[in-house]
Amino acid sequence: MFFSIDPSNGVPIYEQLVRQVKFAVADGVLVSGQMIPSVRQLAQQLAINPNTIARAYTQLQTELVIEPLRGRGMVVRKDAFTRCSKARQTLLAASLRGVLAECLQSGLTREELVELFETELMDLESK
Amino acid sequence: MTAVVSVNGVFKGFRGCQALRGIDLQVPSGVVFALLGENGAGKTTLIRILTGFLHADAGSAEILGLNCETQSLTIRRQIGYVSDAPALYDWMTVERIGWFTSAFYPTGFQANYEELIRQFEVPVERKIKQLSKGQRAKVALALAVAHEPELLLLDEPTSGLDPLVRRQFLESMVDRAATGRTVLLSSHQIDEVERVADWVAILRDGQVALVEPLAKLKQSTQQVILSLSDPLVEIPLPRGRVLHHTTRGRQRQILVQDMDADGLAALRNTTGVQHVETKTPSLEEIFIACTRGETVPAADDLPQAFSPTA
Repeated sequence: MFFSIDPSNGVPIYEQLVRQVKFAVADGVLVSGQMIPSVRQLAQQLAINPNTIARAYTQLQTELVIEPLRGRGMVVRKDAFTRCSKARQTLLAASLRGVLAECLQSGLTREELVELFETELMDLESK
Repeated sequence: MTAVVSVNGVFKGFRGCQALRGIDLQVPSGVVFALLGENGAGKTTLIRILTGFLHADAGSAEILGLNCETQSLTIRRQIGYVSDAPALYDWMTVERIGWFTSAFYPTGFQANYEELIRQFEVPVERKIKQLSKGQRAKVALALAVAHEPELLLLDEPTSGLDPLVRRQFLESMVDRAATGRTVLLSSHQIDEVERVADWVAILRDGQVALVEPLAKLKQSTQQVILSLSDPLVEIPLPRGRVLHHTTRGRQRQILVQDMDADGLAALRNTTGVQHVETKTPSLEEIFIACTRGETVPAADDLPQAFSPTA
């Protein structure tokens, strides 16, 4: 898979990696049993500090997305898909919440907000 | 763990200019350590002292436990160094300079060098003087790392080079860190430093303004934008270490380290504050704040009022 890392957007790099792996699993870009590059390989590929990669991998392991395959490296777990779909949902909910908060803050009433939401949703669905 | 590079109380002055005014720096082993600072902050002077080309007026500098002033030849055999204008014998071919340099190092140097040159796709039979700037830099890098040094010292090695060459340098740095070796990098390419550095030190006016792990720096620093009811309102500085603050009309922007939730709440509740927005600053924003701002002393002291400084 291809990663898209922005070191200066405020989200720590390791967090960006974790999210992108989860999204990739949820999208089927990474499948169960698939191997992911080693820390050293990925660090070279992305020109990113290997400690940052290691930190992301540790977190993905703790969150039961990947697991070590003895002697080979890290692989995507069988049950990762459901977990990552849920995780993606949570992340999307947080994004949505951020937008909603911004709308409310800028003075939109609930009615205006709902109307805006429906308009945009309809527009997207028609495409 | 002993530091790979240890600088203690180093002072260095030139005629009419104090370049280094008491530098204390410890570079741990196995990390990518980035040295940032404006032109003239003292980075190159410090590196020249480390490589033994300059002698400090006071204080001590050691690399791998060896004294930079008295044992600089031994040091230079054990480290790799790439400057921003590598001095190479222009008349030699790329191949010949590898052969020549291999005499100074244990066996295996030339094979490593040739492998690197092959990876970097630099033509071996071409003379150094005929190489492009980027190719020269790659030759310098290959010469510096072919003997697998414990420490790689880079002084703005990619200034003026195209993004592809810069990327190749980064990959090399990252690979050395992955194998447990140390890289000390002085650079202006802040976006690159943001990708590869474990530690960051910011030099300002010959002193160390800040030195800490990059992750911790970014985690603990916030950019706070306050909207006030009136531009003449005076508000106390937030708790924590304020790196920089500016005013524009009714807004104040503050870059602050280690401001906790209480400090943020206190700001929100201050009279005259209508709106508080916080965001994580980029390393570039932190760097500019550090080098531009008046250094405000760390506040465990009483909050001080500050008035508009438009």
